[in-house]
Amino acid sequence: MLEVRDDNAAAFEELMVRYQGRVVTVLTHVVGNRDQAEDLAQDVFLRVYRARKRYVPGAKFSTWLYTIVNNVGLNALRSRARRPEVTLEGRESGPMGIRPLEAMAQAASGQMPARVVDKSEARDIVRLAVQTLNERQRMAVLLSKFEEMSYAEIAETMGLSTQAIKSLLSRARSNLREVLEPYFDQGQRPDFDDEETPTE
Amino acid sequence: MTRDPNNADSQRHAPQQGQDVPADDQLVAYLDGELDDETARTIEERLSTDAGSRDHLGRLERTWDALDDLGRAEVDETFTQTTIEMVALAAEEDQQQEELRQPARQRRKWLIAAVGLLGFGLAGFATVRAVSTNPNEQLLEDLPVLQRLEEYQQIDDIEFLELLHQEKLFEPADE
Repeated sequence: MLEVRDDNAAAFEELMVRYQGRVVTVLTHVVGNRDQAEDLAQDVFLRVYRARKRYVPGAKFSTWLYTIVNNVGLNALRSRARRPEVTLEGRESGPMGIRPLEAMAQAASGQMPARVVDKSEARDIVRLAVQTLNERQRMAVLLSKFEEMSYAEIAETMGLSTQAIKSLLSRARSNLREVLEPYFDQGQRPDFDDEETPTE
Repeated sequence: MTRDPNNADSQRHAPQQGQDVPADDQLVAYLDGELDDETARTIEERLSTDAGSRDHLGRLERTWDALDDLGRAEVDETFTQTTIEMVALAAEEDQQQEELRQPARQRRKWLIAAVGLLGFGLAGFATVRAVSTNPNEQLLEDLPVLQRLEEYQQIDDIEFLELLHQEKLFEPADE
């Protein structure tokens, strides 16, 4: 990053290649949309480039980078919340009807409770469960899980105290457990239709 | 999303009421390795004797491990290229903006330098004027004495002159 600060273009490209996957991963799960996550990730790297002269040697680069990611991601969520949503009616496009995932879950739940969980369905369920967290819980969970940041690092990234992060993660994981446990135990698919966001 | 508050399974597996069970935030911090050694030992002692707490911890851990199913994003060469191009374009725009600002900045610098120079000049002039003495000033001040210097040289001291003045010997005569 010090070389990037000194306008070394090759160093910037190397930095980008090293972190782009990780940044897109976090942003994808923050905003729930891969395409938007890529746009936001590009915005992040542009901000990194423009702020390069203000980088302080000795500061951990990943903490600085994810402070920008946090900023960009949460701004995107807030902008989205301010825009009116347009609900598209599902249309039948195949033999499984309007909501194939639900149809699969219903068909599957008719089997023995201790059924083998389909990997891709489980991934979708977990992804949707993460979306039920509020924005700060979601960001804290993603930084802890995918970036393996300590509470102190997450606190610095999000501008909160370490104790606040401890509480945030505790609430988030408790909420996730409540949502996912019935699915893992009994194959009972959570109802994600209601946009009920848990409070911290 | 709806949750069933009467989920019997959740109640069965939740830590029993009345027992001194570790709070969720302590268990989560324990799983994350964020507890100090003493607190971690206390949690471990509790877990070793309480099956309910162990079960609860296991469920928290299972939920956490489930996030691994989310996977990590793979980014292709196109993304890298377009981002680099975008940044290069932004750098070029920044450079052009900087060049547009350059003449105005140069003019401002010259103006500041000129004002500074003038200010120093004035300050210097005032200082020199205040500090230096005008030799002619002293002469002007002493002129009345110089005009009668020969007469004053006849007198020994000032007190004798004041005495003569008090005697009014040199008052002009009334006509």
